[in-house]
Amino acid sequence: MGEFMAKYPNTRVITYDPVSAAALLAANEQSFGQRAIPSYHFDQADVIVSFNADFLGTWISPVEYARAYAKRRKITDKKMDNMSRHYQVESHMSLTGSNADNRILVKPSEQGAAICALYNEVAALTGAGSIGGPKVNDKAAASMKKVARELVNAKGKSLVVSASNNVAEQVIVNKINDLLGNINTTVDFGTLSYQRQGDERDMVRLIEEMKSGQVAIAIVWGANPAYELPNAVAFKEAFAKVNTRVSFSGVMDETTSLCTHAAPAHHSLESWGDVEPKEGHLSMIQPTIAPLFDTRQAELSLLMWADSPNLNLEDEQPYYQYLKSYWASDLFGRQNKYSTPTAFWDMSVHDGVFEMPASGRTVSFNGNVSSEGVSKPSGSAVEISCFETVNIGNGQYAHNPWLQEMPDPVNRSVWGNYLAIPVEWDGVNNINGWQNLTDGDHVDVTIGGKTLNCAVVRGFGQMPGTVSIALGQGREAGGCGVGYGVNVNPWLGMNGNLIQYYAGDVQVSDKPTSTDKNVPCVQHHHTMGVAVGKEEDGKPYFVDEHAIGYKGFAGALTDRSIIFQAHVNELPELGERMEKFHEEAGHLNQQTLYPDRSEFFGTGLHWGMYVDLNSCIGCGACQVACVSENNVPVVGKNEVARHHEMTWLRIDRYFYGDLENPKVVYQPMMCQHCETAPCENVCPVNATNHSMEGLNQMAYNRCIGTRYCANNCPYKVRRFNWLDYTTADLWPANEERVFHVSEDDKPFYADNLVRMVLNPDVTVRSRGVIEKCSFCVQRIQEGKLTAKKETRALADNDVRTACQTACPTGAITFGNLNNPDSEVNQKRNNAGAFAYQVLEEINTRPGVKYSAKIHNSNEELNS
Amino acid sequence: MVSKGHPRATELWAQWKPTLMTNFPGLTDDQIEGIILYINDAAAPKAAVTGTNATETSGSGDNSSTMWMFLGLALILGFLSFALMRIIDNLANINRVQQGEQPVRKTVSQMVTSKGFIAFMVFAVTLIFGYKTVDNATQMGRQQNYQPTQPIAFSHKIHAGDNKIDCQYCHDSARRSKHSSIPGTNTCMNCHSAVKVGTQTGTSEITKIFASIGFDPISNKYLDGYDGFSEKQIEEVYKKWIGQAYMADKGLNSLDDNGRAIVEDQWDGVVKALKNDSNGKIQGPIEWVRIHNLPDHVYFNHSQHVAVAGLACQQCHGPVETMPEVYQYSTLGMGWCINCHRETKVKFAENAYYDQYERYHEELKSGKRDAVTVAEIGGLECQKCHY
Repeated sequence: MGEFMAKYPNTRVITYDPVSAAALLAANEQSFGQRAIPSYHFDQADVIVSFNADFLGTWISPVEYARAYAKRRKITDKKMDNMSRHYQVESHMSLTGSNADNRILVKPSEQGAAICALYNEVAALTGAGSIGGPKVNDKAAASMKKVARELVNAKGKSLVVSASNNVAEQVIVNKINDLLGNINTTVDFGTLSYQRQGDERDMVRLIEEMKSGQVAIAIVWGANPAYELPNAVAFKEAFAKVNTRVSFSGVMDETTSLCTHAAPAHHSLESWGDVEPKEGHLSMIQPTIAPLFDTRQAELSLLMWADSPNLNLEDEQPYYQYLKSYWASDLFGRQNKYSTPTAFWDMSVHDGVFEMPASGRTVSFNGNVSSEGVSKPSGSAVEISCFETVNIGNGQYAHNPWLQEMPDPVNRSVWGNYLAIPVEWDGVNNINGWQNLTDGDHVDVTIGGKTLNCAVVRGFGQMPGTVSIALGQGREAGGCGVGYGVNVNPWLGMNGNLIQYYAGDVQVSDKPTSTDKNVPCVQHHHTMGVAVGKEEDGKPYFVDEHAIGYKGFAGALTDRSIIFQAHVNELPELGERMEKFHEEAGHLNQQTLYPDRSEFFGTGLHWGMYVDLNSCIGCGACQVACVSENNVPVVGKNEVARHHEMTWLRIDRYFYGDLENPKVVYQPMMCQHCETAPCENVCPVNATNHSMEGLNQMAYNRCIGTRYCANNCPYKVRRFNWLDYTTADLWPANEERVFHVSEDDKPFYADNLVRMVLNPDVTVRSRGVIEKCSFCVQRIQEGKLTAKKETRALADNDVRTACQTACPTGAITFGNLNNPDSEVNQKRNNAGAFAYQVLEEINTRPGVKYSAKIHNSNEELNS
Repeated sequence: MVSKGHPRATELWAQWKPTLMTNFPGLTDDQIEGIILYINDAAAPKAAVTGTNATETSGSGDNSSTMWMFLGLALILGFLSFALMRIIDNLANINRVQQGEQPVRKTVSQMVTSKGFIAFMVFAVTLIFGYKTVDNATQMGRQQNYQPTQPIAFSHKIHAGDNKIDCQYCHDSARRSKHSSIPGTNTCMNCHSAVKVGTQTGTSEITKIFASIGFDPISNKYLDGYDGFSEKQIEEVYKKWIGQAYMADKGLNSLDDNGRAIVEDQWDGVVKALKNDSNGKIQGPIEWVRIHNLPDHVYFNHSQHVAVAGLACQQCHGPVETMPEVYQYSTLGMGWCINCHRETKVKFAENAYYDQYERYHEELKSGKRDAVTVAEIGGLECQKCHY
């Protein structure tokens, strides 16, 4: 880039982030003189307050934060006195909010007021002056008082973050952290994060310049402004005035289709490169495959256009050589670990990352706090907040079918975005949606004169007087995401040219414009049991018809032993309760007709899993990892609506606590590999049976598709291929020579490009067979073989399931139960009575154990 | 035979007229003798004992003797039932005659169209078709004895048999990976940069290797920029080589007519072997024809069998070192795999991986068992191979 600008000095580089942190960067510059994002140490914080920052799902660096956050949430001992407390201040239930101990509801426009309220309370307790500011709602104000006291008690060990895109508000948040002594402890500027650097104010300027014809050439790289910007219409108009418009995008997206030239760059898996996401962490981008198409790496294009003298086009991989010589000439001098450039480069490529020593930088707060510039509550009856989802983000993943088909963790819908409306409990049995709307209704929503027709989903935890909807959908070009959901970017307003992700004055049509019975919401699919005649009036109670379940749990029945939860203060009671439960279940299970197979399972290996529900934040990474590892087909929106989704691993969402503003337990549910599996007994052809290693095996070629096993599975984890989702059964796919199929007419799974997505070690299933989680048996066999070839005992690390490797918080552990020292056994033993098997009392003897969910809510806030 | 007046034939014809004896054109005289001998023997009073013996011999797994036994049994049974039919018929007729009625003789067409006969035939046809259908379905996709023509007449007999090159010298990935891959041309060049003329095929086959990789056997150098060579240029290089080799062989100074024909012929062979639909030019890898192929739903790993179990390649691939042209030796059917897993003993003591099977180790120590088979550590389980 530097060389390009040296050649063409009139070049300007403009960066923006589709979901902006420009205000945070500006505020940090004002407060600390650093225009960067600090490292937040969630693992060192006793009390965490997040103002609408979805730091477990989408905010800045969620994987890093989630890993640190989960460290303080696990059951480490029977007391758990080290557990952090997490307050989330928001209007819609975000992924982070669903994991919070307490959610404090404020309207989107009240965020600034809430920050001021907390500041004033903290200031009062620490002796600093009040800054006044707008008033937040009474309930939140009362809560802030209590939160402030806790924060001050945890001085130096607390953390306040905010996703607000308002500089004044971010400065106040910085000052709160300063008053609490968190700067340089939990808010660490010693290692800066470079993951957000953009400023959309530059974009506004650019649009003006393009409009007035000052821009001759525009190169778009890694951005899609024609879709992502709220003022995309203005951008498109201005962009058309630029003579030469070049895009590096690999797909024909909204912006590329407006360009005069498309110079498609390599995919990142085809490229060489280096990045520095955090200060001193040099990370390598390495190609895993030769370029499939006639593309050229964007960096190489720029260097060639700049006639770079450092580039030797005679090289087989010019950019690789360029990068290597840059590492030797520039970066090599900045480290002292390796003595030769070759060793430095080779080891960095080998490790994938090179870490420089931390800078040890400390900062001090050096700014002015003032409530001037803090956004005022809008006072409108209905407000809307627009948020990123953990799967689609701001739209950059909308064309990835795996992610489109991954249910949103909170509202559990797929393929599109849905307007979440607040719910109201009738005090008996029903949870009614606002304005009597329900899932599947379509309504016209008008904001600022722009009307969109949105599908409705009931949003538990949605604050009354607010609605919310996800960003990133309603794509017009680029791939499979086209035609799903609505594009809400035009609704977003600007405040001082900073994008605000909420809006007031929302008009929602009184009556639904239409109703779609086939809602692709998976919450009511594959539920684990239906209670009958349990209600006071003796009426049968069916989960599918009522979103809220028995005793305040939603989604499925929970008077069965599926979920255990308690407050951290009630741990001893929970321990007693669970011990009694284990005892009762054990007694029931002794009355069995099954023969004793302990010798069979006790020989050699016995695979088992442990899922720590306290670490699980419900992000769904495991689910996508499973889809990718096991060639699980994508079935599409209509098929999902018919309960036909094929995912082997689903994440069940259970609500508990307050019905309108509940807490959430996420439970990854996959085949439990029961020792006495009910599915095995009913298979007429013995297609599913048990291995001596404790695996519930599924032989697809034996399966004749009676689906008895799926019916008999208490965990509802077996999936049936209703249709030929993979086109594996089509004759032309199999007999190319006979049918003379041309390259273009091939069914999509017969196409060699599409096939590259498949894992060659896993069979592609055909229509009419059952499939399910295999505990990644291909990885088990591979791990065993590695150990055998090295003539050594099997180690824990030899076999790791796909879900386990993908989990950012380490919630999933897999291993050999016959080895007392294995990690899985240690974790299960550590959890003691808190570890349980789902439906333990029905004697299925699952190979998977879960831990009870513990929360640490501030009970004062609920009163 | 009847018309020729064979004494035994005329006698039988007179006895059984108008029934015709089935013609067995497939049987040799020896076999017929055998059957007759067998029939005579079976017709003797000790038939039951003979039958038992026959069953026992069938247990030895000799297919042809089993077939003969069944054929023999079928003949005996057919003969007996025919005889019984005649007896019943005759008795009925005697009965009729005694009652003063006319004896009714059934014609062949009456017999053939009788309910019993049709029912029997339907039953027999269903049985045979059913058996054949299942049998063929099991065989579907199997290609035992598959022996395609390869682009190069590579002889395993010369390489692995006569010259005793280790299998894994060329197929080196067998001990390390899932696949035992077909070696690249580079591997060939390890030897063939020196061995430039074959003992049996002369230049006709080895030139194909050179043309594929771009090695000039005259100057002993790899050709620079070979990828960009036109077919004409390549032709020039290798025709020259073939001609030169021919002249050296015959001790000639210039090519004679025969030599020219050989050059043309061999060059045609090179073009045919190396140029194909997917690779429109001579340069580039040789497209060998894959012989052993498992269905997609079967997972097989060579390194497990070669490196861990230490099996000889010949166990599955047969005596490759005697095959001038390789064919698929085994069925590669599931029953074949399973059988081996049942019988093969795991190298239990040598590999520390197996230490975890404590129970088996104790049993081995106490003498309760003398070995552990693959089946006993899960070698017959579905997900050993299917996932």
